[in-house]
Amino acid sequence: MTDAIICAAEFGDFFNSTIIPLVAYATVITGILIALSFMVGRAIANPKLTLWAKTEAVQIVISLASIFFILTIINVFCAIDMVEIGSFFGVTVPTGSSISVYDAAQEYLRESALYSHNAMTTVRYHLEGLTILSFLNYFQCDFPIGPIGLGCWYGYSGTNMQPVGGYGAAIASLNIFFNSSNIAHFSALNFMFILLFVYKGFVFVFLPLGLFLRSMPYMRSFGSLFIAVAMSFLIIYPLMLGILYLMGDVLVDRPTDCLACPSPDPGGYIPESDPDLRQFLNEDVFSEHGGAGGSIAQTLGGAFAGEALSEYYYFENGTNITGSIQFAAYAFIAAVFMPTAALIATIASISYIARLYGEEIDLSRITQLM
Amino acid sequence: MKRLILFLLLIPLAFAGWEEIAVIAVTISAALLGVVYAVGFGLGINELQLVAREEFFQLIALGVFVAVLMGANGVLNEVSTIAEFSPGSANMQEASTSIVDENVEKVFDLAAAVNDYDQTLSKEASQSSQCNIVGMGYTVSGCGGYSIMASTLSMSGGILGFAIGELSAMGRLLELSNVYALTLLLPFGILLRTIKLTRGAGGFLLALGISMHMMLPVGIIFNEMLGETFLASTDSLVDEYRPQPTINIEGCTPGSTYSLTGDSNEDNAVAVYEDLKESLRHQLFVILIKATLGPVIALLLMATSIKALTSIAGAEVDVTAISRFV
Repeated sequence: MTDAIICAAEFGDFFNSTIIPLVAYATVITGILIALSFMVGRAIANPKLTLWAKTEAVQIVISLASIFFILTIINVFCAIDMVEIGSFFGVTVPTGSSISVYDAAQEYLRESALYSHNAMTTVRYHLEGLTILSFLNYFQCDFPIGPIGLGCWYGYSGTNMQPVGGYGAAIASLNIFFNSSNIAHFSALNFMFILLFVYKGFVFVFLPLGLFLRSMPYMRSFGSLFIAVAMSFLIIYPLMLGILYLMGDVLVDRPTDCLACPSPDPGGYIPESDPDLRQFLNEDVFSEHGGAGGSIAQTLGGAFAGEALSEYYYFENGTNITGSIQFAAYAFIAAVFMPTAALIATIASISYIARLYGEEIDLSRITQLM
Repeated sequence: MKRLILFLLLIPLAFAGWEEIAVIAVTISAALLGVVYAVGFGLGINELQLVAREEFFQLIALGVFVAVLMGANGVLNEVSTIAEFSPGSANMQEASTSIVDENVEKVFDLAAAVNDYDQTLSKEASQSSQCNIVGMGYTVSGCGGYSIMASTLSMSGGILGFAIGELSAMGRLLELSNVYALTLLLPFGILLRTIKLTRGAGGFLLALGISMHMMLPVGIIFNEMLGETFLASTDSLVDEYRPQPTINIEGCTPGSTYSLTGDSNEDNAVAVYEDLKESLRHQLFVILIKATLGPVIALLLMATSIKALTSIAGAEVDVTAISRFV
């Protein structure tokens, strides 16, 4: 696990050298504009202008307080240990070290990406194996004595068949869930990129912009939106994902044996199933049996030992089609359903926070895009 | 210092159920609001007093919300644990889990049966007989009739896959709700809702916790009640939806293209097709009502409940995206 960029020392440098000066410039420029407006208002005896200036002076304090609040929360989120928080609620996370809210959010998405990838691999393994088996042909000579038939003694008399070709139903259902696990994996990566985008600091640029724009005529809602977006994506989104991290034992079937190790086994993120789904993560099987040597061995093996040997090459302990489908369904919940709920809560929070600033922002169209 | 304060605030929660956590969260919020009001009163700041008052109303709303939840939980548990519909279950969560597990087993069995049919029929359909001596001979595909079942079985496999996926996803959501809805989502929601800036997220977590804990099981149990009532009907039409014994597949003779006795490969294939058609129709109830409609109803109930509850909690969340998963 890598530490979230937002809590790293390098980020502090970026923040102090870029964001804080920008906020300071925005505050000063806005302050000057307000002061000028106030003076002009007094000079031309225009009470509307002086009232506007007074109102904006209060608003700039509110904006600064909001930015201060965000920065305080970021520091708290970098310091709080989600494992401790979990233990307060009776939820144990088998990790050897403490983990901040931001790290927990990132770790959950990493785990869900890994989980959905494992789901995709097991489904793909089955699809590949079953497709190969479906195309195996077998010729049984007439008047058989074991694998050899007397019908081929002087000619070529016998029955041609595909002995293990009947996987049409299984392949049809696995195809659907291969697509579903693909969507799950890419969704997890998508959510991860959104989070990294937030951690990289781009959202912080919204703060000085929001502060400046909130005090400009006709731009209040635009500026409020910027601050609300920054607040929601820096506080709500990571917090929601951090809560999902606490639910990882069930959501991503987090392995309990070695999370304290420096690099836990990626194959451990897999549901319990019989036969064990772990065996289908090794796709080297296809390259081992797909080459010339493998083909000859299969041909001879199939001729003398029957189709069971061919099946054994790819499914040593049998298939687990229903287990793979279940795995893909679980991956969908872990990597699509729950993170989408977190994003919905974040977007709803943007509207709510903007309303606190006195602005109504309709984000229903954006929500519908998801 | 921050961690110490958080620790002190949260330490009582380690020993409490969700009801106690809710009461503690409300009490802490009330105490904080009292401090804010006192400061406002002491310094003569009207805005602070107004904020404290407004928040106090929100707190009362939250208290009512929690009280209704406690009452509704008991009532719904009583309704949902009627012995006829959830034999041997202590509450609706257990009842719904056992219903989903039972339905998953049924669909698993059905999927195994369809895969068996598929393998047997495909093997029969793939056979062709060949005779070739000294460069002369013939090839006969006498079992081609059996291949008519391939597309039917493939479609059945796809539908059954959907059913397994839906039920499994539902099972996972139930598992999540059983483990975390009341221990994590609800208390977190209550805590976040007491803070003004996180009220939206808190309301959503609260609604998610309650909806997962109640509406998801309710949807599953009520669908099961609906299904059982339908199957219990004595109407002869209902017989079509009761499961039937498995089909019998007559083997194929690849070299034979015609039979005077009327049991040619084509006749056998058509007989299997008729059996299969009848058998699959009798499984429609399990696949469509129990495994497809049930999860859809439960998810819709959950999504609608989230929308309604977030609205009550003061921050309506557009759950169209969640509903779209249905």
